[in-house]
Amino acid sequence: MQSLRFMAVAGAIALALGTGANDAHARGVVAGTSINNTATVDYTVGSVTSTVSSNQSSVLVAEILDVEVTVQTATVAVTPGATQKMLSYRVTNIGNGPEAFLLVINDAIAGDQFDPVASATAIYLDSDASGAFNSGDAPYVAGSNDPLLSPDGFTTVFVFNDIPATVVDNNIGRSNLTATARTGSGAAGTVFAGQGEAGTDAVVGTSTATSVDQGEYKVEGIAITANKTQTVVDQYSGARPIPGARINYSIAVNATGSGTATAAVFSDNIPAGTTYLPGTLSLNGTALSDGSDTDAGAFEATSPPRVRVQLGDLLATSGTKTITFAVTINNQ
Amino acid sequence: MKTGIKNFIGAAALSACSFGSPAFAQTKDCVVLKASAEVEQEVVNAKGEKSTTLAPVNKVVPGDTVVWTITANNVCTKPSDNVTINNPVPEHMAYVANSAMGAGSDITYSVDGKTFGTTDQLTVSENGATRKARADEYKHIRWVFKNSLQPGASAFARFRAVLN
Repeated sequence: MQSLRFMAVAGAIALALGTGANDAHARGVVAGTSINNTATVDYTVGSVTSTVSSNQSSVLVAEILDVEVTVQTATVAVTPGATQKMLSYRVTNIGNGPEAFLLVINDAIAGDQFDPVASATAIYLDSDASGAFNSGDAPYVAGSNDPLLSPDGFTTVFVFNDIPATVVDNNIGRSNLTATARTGSGAAGTVFAGQGEAGTDAVVGTSTATSVDQGEYKVEGIAITANKTQTVVDQYSGARPIPGARINYSIAVNATGSGTATAAVFSDNIPAGTTYLPGTLSLNGTALSDGSDTDAGAFEATSPPRVRVQLGDLLATSGTKTITFAVTINNQ
Repeated sequence: MKTGIKNFIGAAALSACSFGSPAFAQTKDCVVLKASAEVEQEVVNAKGEKSTTLAPVNKVVPGDTVVWTITANNVCTKPSDNVTINNPVPEHMAYVANSAMGAGSDITYSVDGKTFGTTDQLTVSENGATRKARADEYKHIRWVFKNSLQPGASAFARFRAVLN
């Protein structure tokens, strides 16, 4: 199947994704480790040389409590009254001992236009460690299944909120997830005597043993549909899809609903096994040049190659935008 | 009685021997070596002036600096010559540049445990090229004391290392 994509580039900047390489890393030697130092001395008395060892001087490594939360989802487009809209976060133990973390949602964030409402079951843990939410993931119950993470370990947490019915287009609603070390939190350097790994002390690190990050919903009432049709014309005035035959594509793009899809861009990959036919790109009957220039369309020699047409701001009243282009079927 | 005379002679023969001859004697260690760990603490006096003191370590966390002190004490009645203290940098720690000290000693370092040199001499190979070794790459420290250690006297060596 050929791929068909349209993009509505929202005016608001999407949140930076926290995915990819995990920047957080556990600081240092594991709690409970004994750091040992033994020195030796060589000396001579008369003609006799001796070597003597010192005692073993040791210090014990205490546990640092440190955590980092990073949101994994960019701004989530929602419609008024939608339910169970998901945000996902990564919670990482950046301390040096195993630790369990309490998770708390806060939907009452100042500075946005609406408060998301926590769904009936608002937090799920990534029980199968897949990074994606699926039916095997367990609901989170504070105090009962607080995620236990080893140093450098992380888990994905899924948060579900409902969207109030009264919101309007472009409204933003924010939701925070906070993770706090169960052993304790507070000013960096706070000591919880004997509560660290292997009976060492637990010391709050520079994260204050609690971390929060924010997810965001944006109300977008506009929905865009694209319907694609094709006709095949071969070199012999038939309609057989043989090498050398031409396929004419026509795509009708329509916007329905409320609001605006700002600076919409239509993009369609040239199907594998075919070659774009130069000079065939058009929008609503007006030919567009293949090159990237001041008109709305271009053929791009990307991998795979594609045609792109700027459609501008689309509203329900914008009418149908029809894009056409043609390809020829390659010799096999 | 024959047996009695034999025993008598045996006992006399026994007392003529001395068990104190140097060839079989056990010499005690003339240098006693002690290692200890401390941390630096900042103290403020009544005038608000800051200074640092050394305090015993109770716990360390990654990033902390430990001050290791080695003391060599001559407990014999003769001097100890050619006194050299060797200290491998503890595992999980990194030597703090310029922190090694020991009055009356020449200090050298080693990355591989075999070749010792000054900070200017030590090199490492990286990606086929040779470069100067960094302080945190030193794995051994050596103090060679220039003068003999007199009876009853002590020599000190000290360095700092940061916990990884």
